Amino acid sequence: MGESKSRFKKMLTTEFYLLIFLVAILVIMKAAAPDFYSVNNIMTVLNYFSYLLIAAIGMNLIIITSNIDVAAGSIISVVAIVIAFVGKTGAPLPVFLIAGMGTGLVLSWLNGLFITKLNIPAIVATLATTQLFIGALPLVVEGSIYDLPASFTWLAFQAKIFGVIPASVAFAAVITAGFMLFMRYSRFSKKLYAVGNNKHAATLTGINVNKMMVLAFAIAGPLYGICGTIIATAGQRVTTTMGNGFEMTIIAAVVLGGTSISGGSGKIIGTVLGAFILSLITPAMNYIGLSSDWSDAVMGAIILLAVIVASISTLTKNKKVIIVPDQGAASPEAQAQTAPVGTAAPEVK
Amino acid sequence: MESNMETLAKPRKRSGLNFNIALLVILVALILIIGIRNPTFLTYNYMMSVVVKNIMEIGLMALPMTLIVITAGIDLSVGSIMIFSAIAGGMVAQSMGDGMGILVTMAVGIICGLANGLIIVKLKISPLITTLATFFLFRGIAKGMTQGDSVYSYDFTTAVGNMEFGGFPLVLIVFIVAAVVFTLLLSKTAFGRSLYALGLNENATRYSGIKADRTLIAIYVISGVICALAAYFYLGRFSSVKFDVANSMNLKVVTVIVLGGTSILGGVGDMKGTIIAIFIIAVLNSGLTVMNIPIDVQTIIQGTVLIISLIVYSILGERAKKRRILDVSKAGGPGSGSIEGGAAQTPA
Repeated sequence: MGESKSRFKKMLTTEFYLLIFLVAILVIMKAAAPDFYSVNNIMTVLNYFSYLLIAAIGMNLIIITSNIDVAAGSIISVVAIVIAFVGKTGAPLPVFLIAGMGTGLVLSWLNGLFITKLNIPAIVATLATTQLFIGALPLVVEGSIYDLPASFTWLAFQAKIFGVIPASVAFAAVITAGFMLFMRYSRFSKKLYAVGNNKHAATLTGINVNKMMVLAFAIAGPLYGICGTIIATAGQRVTTTMGNGFEMTIIAAVVLGGTSISGGSGKIIGTVLGAFILSLITPAMNYIGLSSDWSDAVMGAIILLAVIVASISTLTKNKKVIIVPDQGAASPEAQAQTAPVGTAAPEVK
Repeated sequence: MESNMETLAKPRKRSGLNFNIALLVILVALILIIGIRNPTFLTYNYMMSVVVKNIMEIGLMALPMTLIVITAGIDLSVGSIMIFSAIAGGMVAQSMGDGMGILVTMAVGIICGLANGLIIVKLKISPLITTLATFFLFRGIAKGMTQGDSVYSYDFTTAVGNMEFGGFPLVLIVFIVAAVVFTLLLSKTAFGRSLYALGLNENATRYSGIKADRTLIAIYVISGVICALAAYFYLGRFSSVKFDVANSMNLKVVTVIVLGGTSILGGVGDMKGTIIAIFIIAVLNSGLTVMNIPIDVQTIIQGTVLIISLIVYSILGERAKKRRILDVSKAGGPGSGSIEGGAAQTPA
């Protein structure tokens, strides 16, 4: 129990550090560029944060099961085109939102089946389907779908809470709250963590590992669908490449939030903080007066820094625990291998 | 253990050869089909200046990547390293001359590779995450340095990028030399064998006395060096580059390697498969262009090729793995103690 308590402490500090970092950014921005807190800018940041977070929550589930989904961006591109087709007819938001979620569900579910039925590593499987999705889109659509009606862009332009806050924020809030409760209390989420921690042990305890993995993908799909809907409705023209490359930012948000890429750990609250930090970078640099050309570099550096900090804290912990017989360097490595960054069973009742 | 000993006694790698022969058959069949549909494809000039030249940077980078994937690692930052080193070299060459440009390109390649290696090995961060982050970082630095503008080729890169000997491009000669070196490195040296060992079981490999850290760092540095090498040709060939031209190059390299029969899970694979796969992708790319098939269909076809090869390899995977383990233990001559023997010779 002592061990699990210290692990729990560690989980707290990962998010604690992120929170400090986030507050630091916000304070610095307050001092350096008060304009940053203009209503317009805050709402732009919040909108980006919302759709990044919605997709990142889905990705988080997938990564918890020790898979990864590099097809997320291309699925979002497909969703954008599908809802543009539906929205072009003048259909209202609920109709094309459901179409988008359905598209996401089907494509992501196929990815999950592909990975589990054929036992192919997720990264190459989703890499292959990415090429299919990206390749298929321009065959169906010539460049872009344009002149979309006002009913299509209603979400971005008219749907404001109290007249200012974009409705996407409400989407993100509801989804985040729902998933936080879900991850905290459902038996299903415990199984997800179990699968990510140790597939064989999970099988032995009677969990259908493949089914859990497919379900993780199937849940992520509709979330990509919502994300794609928010992205696509921001303008009257929808192109075939709207989500391409966005998967990297989504994965970055999840990893920055403290979810270990080797699976079995990670909390929604971490993902929320990770997504928020990433959505601040580009606007913050703009307002400070640094060229936004550097934002990719800063994003890469922040992700790297975050995983390095997490890794170092794990390494030093392991060194304390293990008595190393001979090869000074070898044992902690061996331990790191079996218990990668933050593999703590995160929910110990 | 018993089953291992049994496989050791069996005749050598029948299936391993078959994979490569199957790939070779596919390659020849593709060339013939496309050649019959459009005879220009088969002309020497087209083969050299379009089919081969367009794939060479990816081909070069696939060689060290094969080593990395065999150790169960991956390097998603290859395209970014290439562009970063090309851009850094190009910018320095504008103000300080070609010599400095050449040096800076190579230095950037080495430093990027070393950074990847050190983070992965010393800080125990998974190669996937490390190189995903450095993919952003290196490309981002290139973007920041150029403010998003193009960087132009200088005399040296223009020369090497377009140099030909009777229609035989210099880059192909470099590729052939590199391919031979990497094939020998992987199949004939203790270093090569230690890579398989690392991919199959890293902990066991460490405990058997192989200097795993050094070996792993070395292959990421080699990857950086080859990326810098590719950067000279790439910059020369296109005469100007922007930070985002190589965004999907990492995925193309991974496609080549998976098609070549190297398992993304590590421990399985060989260089010959990768080399044949490079030419299959090259023929597919330019062949579809010559047949006037739109670029989007080509993306689909490449994805389909990757999916089919994944399915085939996943079905045959288990058997292949056993045989490749046999290869590893056979490669260095007799005696199953070869792994311990190899440790002493592992180059720094």
